Amino acid sequence: MSEYILEISHVSKYFQGLVAINDLSMKVKKGQIYGIIGPNGAGKTTLFNCITGIYRPEIGQILWKGKDIKGSNPYKIAELGILRTFQTIRLFAEMSVAENIMSGRHIKSKQRWYNGVIPTPAYVRDEKANWEKVGELMDFFNLTEYATIPAGDLSYGIQRRIEMARALAAEPELLILDEPAAGLNENETLELTQTIRKIQEMGVTIMMIEHDMEMVMSLSEYITVINFGAKISEGVPSFVQDDPVVIEAYIGSDEEDEDE
Amino acid sequence: MMNKTSLIAIALLVFMGFFPLFVDSAWLAVGTTFLVFSVVALSQDIILGRAGVFHMGHAMFFGLGAYTTAILNVNFGLPILATWAPAVLVPMLVAFVMVAPIIHLRGDYLLVATIGFNIIFIQVLENDIFGLTGGPNGLFGIDVVRVLGFDFSSQTHMYYMAFILLGITLFIMRNLDKSKFGRAMFYIHKDEIAAQSMGINVRYFKLYAFILGAGIAGAAGSMFSVQYSAVSPEAFNVTQSIMFFTIVLVGGSASLPGVLIGTFVMFVLPEMFREFETARYLVFGVAMILTMILRPRGIWPVRFGNIPDFLKKGVK
Repeated sequence: MSEYILEISHVSKYFQGLVAINDLSMKVKKGQIYGIIGPNGAGKTTLFNCITGIYRPEIGQILWKGKDIKGSNPYKIAELGILRTFQTIRLFAEMSVAENIMSGRHIKSKQRWYNGVIPTPAYVRDEKANWEKVGELMDFFNLTEYATIPAGDLSYGIQRRIEMARALAAEPELLILDEPAAGLNENETLELTQTIRKIQEMGVTIMMIEHDMEMVMSLSEYITVINFGAKISEGVPSFVQDDPVVIEAYIGSDEEDEDE
Repeated sequence: MMNKTSLIAIALLVFMGFFPLFVDSAWLAVGTTFLVFSVVALSQDIILGRAGVFHMGHAMFFGLGAYTTAILNVNFGLPILATWAPAVLVPMLVAFVMVAPIIHLRGDYLLVATIGFNIIFIQVLENDIFGLTGGPNGLFGIDVVRVLGFDFSSQTHMYYMAFILLGITLFIMRNLDKSKFGRAMFYIHKDEIAAQSMGINVRYFKLYAFILGAGIAGAAGSMFSVQYSAVSPEAFNVTQSIMFFTIVLVGGSASLPGVLIGTFVMFVLPEMFREFETARYLVFGVAMILTMILRPRGIWPVRFGNIPDFLKKGVK
């Protein structure tokens, strides 16, 4: 097997004839933090939706450990260990924080089909172990005090933490973060940076779309820059930062529409 | 430790347990039907309140259970006891075969499709298919439950059988809510895309809800047919389906006390005000509208946050 855990090769995605992603390729190494930047509307979130199975790209391959996962059902992709957060937070708003995080334990839970009706000793053990894991994650993300509170009632910054805790509860190999710092204040962003580093230290590979340049440049080991659905530059942060093509794309894009 | 809800539940259980001792036979029958309808409403709630699937054909599964018992007993002479398992399994099988091809449909489309199934079901019954269903008049002379020479034939027996059935149903619902299956249904209900992205197979769990709901409704149907010793198509038509759908929304989706209150409000209250004849339905129409405006989540809404106590320790 190659050193790359995820290989995206020549992927294109169209929406009614409009090109959303145009012949995009990238390779993510195991354990890496991989940044994806680009102006609004460049197709970054569309790319994440292609990887996680929400969209099926028309052309190209998405190889996960060498196997093509293009067009697989999203739940199957999650089962493979690819978990994500959303740019527009998608929590189960009426449900408590603990229950939200518990959804991440779904694929790890070993309950059998009849346990929905009848409890068994194995079910009791499984249930307890999973709730304990939820407790650990609430500790890690400083969410313990909100355990019983409906996720939708909490502030934006806390909701972002719940979403990451939920994804991490599934013990992902690849964690996909779609603008994790959006809407956070300076302190929260700083905390988030440290949290992402800790997640990397656990051995999780991370792909991240982010507009906060300071954060994405300090965290990422490798960056791809996308504009109008196509790759315009890639490399280590220091290279990308000074690439004239990138600078031009950003200066020329002030009036772009909001991303999705 | 006892909280308020469990105290109310125990008080209600005791009241329902002794109910046959201080009512006449007419009210006993109302009580029995209330129990049976509660079971059907709870099973509707698995599909509608938990999985969030707009299913308006639930009377069909209720009717399938009732007719399975009736046909096997009246036409084939099987004892009632022997019809229980088929009365549960047939609706489950039909739910799987009919719903699997349409489960991907979005809410409003699926709603229309389930109404369609219910209408076809009534047509089949009324046309006396294979000479088994008795046509528009239905089937009569359904036997009572007999175990080892003992006949459970009185109204009081019926009441307690329905009481046990409701107990079993509540036991199942409680287990469902505390398992990954019940939770998966909620996640799908609240945000399907987020649920999928957490590895939840939406199709599987929606079908699971349908099949489980159909099986429980079938058990209630079997009980219903024995209680009245007769079945006829109009007890299982779309109007009945609408009633079960409404019970869940008026009472409180996914809330066990809510659904029981809903059944009481939609079924028992009209019986109490019989002297007003059809005028009472005007009041009920208005009450339904007001509930949806004033309490859109139902009379007794569901409360989330049922998590183990050790996770609540840090909550301020």
